[in-house]
Amino acid sequence: MTASVKTPPPPTASTGWTRRRRIGQWWVPWLFLAPALILFLYFKFIPMAQAVSMSVQEVRPYLGNTWVGAANYAEILTSESFRSATWNTILLAIGQTGGSMALGFGLALLVEGQTRKLSFIRSAAFLPVVVPMAVVAELWRIMYHPTSEGLMNQVIGLIGLGPSGFINHPDTSLGSIMLTGIWRGAPYDMMIFLAGLAGIDRGLYEAATVDGASTKQRILHVTLPGLRPVFAILFVLAAVRGFRSFTEVFLLTNGGPNGSTEVVMTLIYKLGLEQNRLGVGSAGAVLLFVATLVLTICVQLLRRRRSA
Amino acid sequence: MSRSPKLIAAIAGMTALLVAGCSTGGAEKVAQDPNAPLELWARTTPGGDGEKGMKKLAAAFEQATGQKVEVTAIFDDFETKLSQRAAQKDLPDIVMNDSSQLGTMVTQGIVREVNLAAIKGSDQLLQPALDAAKSGDGKTYGVPYSAQAAALLIRKDWRQKVGQPVPTNWDQLATLAKAFTTEDPDGNGKPDTYGLAVPGSTKRGYASWYFSNFLWAGGGDFIAKQADGSYKPAMSTPESVAATKWFRDLACTSKVVQPGAATMDTPPTNETFEAGRTGMYVVGPYLLARFDKALGKDKYEVVPAPKGPKDATVLAEGGSVYLMAGSANEAAQDKFASFAISPEGQKIGMEGEKAFIVQLPVNKTVDIATVRNDPRWKVYADAYRDGSRYAPSIPNWTPVRQTTADTINALIADCGLDLNAELTKLDQKLGETLSQQGIGAS
Repeated sequence: MTASVKTPPPPTASTGWTRRRRIGQWWVPWLFLAPALILFLYFKFIPMAQAVSMSVQEVRPYLGNTWVGAANYAEILTSESFRSATWNTILLAIGQTGGSMALGFGLALLVEGQTRKLSFIRSAAFLPVVVPMAVVAELWRIMYHPTSEGLMNQVIGLIGLGPSGFINHPDTSLGSIMLTGIWRGAPYDMMIFLAGLAGIDRGLYEAATVDGASTKQRILHVTLPGLRPVFAILFVLAAVRGFRSFTEVFLLTNGGPNGSTEVVMTLIYKLGLEQNRLGVGSAGAVLLFVATLVLTICVQLLRRRRSA
Repeated sequence: MSRSPKLIAAIAGMTALLVAGCSTGGAEKVAQDPNAPLELWARTTPGGDGEKGMKKLAAAFEQATGQKVEVTAIFDDFETKLSQRAAQKDLPDIVMNDSSQLGTMVTQGIVREVNLAAIKGSDQLLQPALDAAKSGDGKTYGVPYSAQAAALLIRKDWRQKVGQPVPTNWDQLATLAKAFTTEDPDGNGKPDTYGLAVPGSTKRGYASWYFSNFLWAGGGDFIAKQADGSYKPAMSTPESVAATKWFRDLACTSKVVQPGAATMDTPPTNETFEAGRTGMYVVGPYLLARFDKALGKDKYEVVPAPKGPKDATVLAEGGSVYLMAGSANEAAQDKFASFAISPEGQKIGMEGEKAFIVQLPVNKTVDIATVRNDPRWKVYADAYRDGSRYAPSIPNWTPVRQTTADTINALIADCGLDLNAELTKLDQKLGETLSQQGIGAS
């Protein structure tokens, strides 16, 4: 990574007012940010700092916490359940991110355009995102009913498969949750892709058509390179979303059967809020935060290196 | 501002937040005020029947003693919200919650020891309920106000249709479950009925909670108390293995458990019984009002749980009045607990079709038949008195219940798993949990 040092331009004979505008009233943007920042500080940053402090203590709210150093981290890092939950989380994040992006991209190509019909279809396709996750999970739980009467089993029955246990069998449970996540995440990705597609210069498509490029070639050589920044943003957003999967797992399987869908978030919930071991749970939460942070930084570094 | 002062400021800010995150404290004696109102928290749905019942009891207490009580009903994240109040050193005076929460609350230091001599009528309490309010050190930390046990609910019309008797042992239970699954008891021509409803989800340890009725009747146990007061894991003993195998075979071999049991907690499982998908269900009395409304009283019967290889032990549960630490009015706390277990308090708690908070009375002198003229309640009362058992009072029962639920859930979800290997693994995990809590046998 190279950082170029730019010398500031020599001062021009600008009026005092513009100079003050440019450098004087530094607090104006902060003033606009203040309401959100105060809320974030109180509801996000202070609890985050508390989680860090709790992760090195045995938390006893009434009797007073006791310092245990790295013991909570040692316990969670050496536990088999944390390792398998980490693995499941990574698998789920990769599957949901890849699946949502691929499906979202496909949907975006299909519904891109200006007509009124398309805007209705776009809104309809976006619905899964705005439906509360609890409702989505309950609907999919019913659809995944593990007998031949279940809706999904009837669907796969049309091509001679099934009946599958879906979320009720360790071999298919994680894949089933992944599918639910993709169904819900793809329209969100689709919207961001649509915004990205709108920014691609139409002239490039026309030039490619004149050069005799097929649709496939146009997508490959014009659309995809034009969407590179969108991919980077989506990748970070979707991966963070994947890492933080909780509601769908909690409601569909609660980590079962046989721990096959246990993710870091459900494990933290169990340790911290169900077993009242808030110190160990906080240690898990801090580790998840660090992993997310590292991932985000890595993506940013890769982007800078590419664009440098 | 150059970079380094910004950095220093950020580090200083973080440090300040970290310091703010650390709390120091401990239980202190609070100055007593005999006129201070009591703040009561109950783990029940806000606006629901449970809250109405609590308010009724509080109002009767206020009328009898002149002592004010403010009732707050909380259901979701009850323990978390209680922890928040604990951190603020401002606990409610009274908490009405599950008896099995005792160990956790004692470990957190948020309940005070109960002086039974100060609780009028404590000598009239049923012994099992009183024992469940004692922690591992033999001290009492709660006053039980309600008890319940499990019994077997059977679709009577189905049983009559398949022409089988009420099951009195496990073999008969399995035979009847098979008949309900294969003989189309609802007569709709479809194979869509199942013998036994099982909430087999890992959520809140449901799979283990339900299975305890069968494990104990089979002579097995989750953890076994030793002579020196410590505990040993007991899920791989021959009795526990046999009971687990029998229970698992219902799901895997004879396939008489409803499909999807592995991901169902109680609400969807209750629905299977209501909707005529399952024909038997082992539950407490709190669902009778609901099933009467959905199915009708005549459609199902309540019978004692069938006898297992050892006996017919079922899970006993209940609610306790917890006297919280740091109260400014300990005398009123004692008075409220005395009122809740008095014959008058017990009757008020039992009255009503839906808004009752006392399932079975814990006071020896109160006969349930005098309040509820329904023979089905007698089945539950007998089950509680003759063959029920509470979860042991260890510092934290939740991890034991949860770990066991994970394994039971795995065994019914994946019929290819090696049962003995899984139970041996479970015992290892239970051993670690017991050691963490300082009660593992060496």
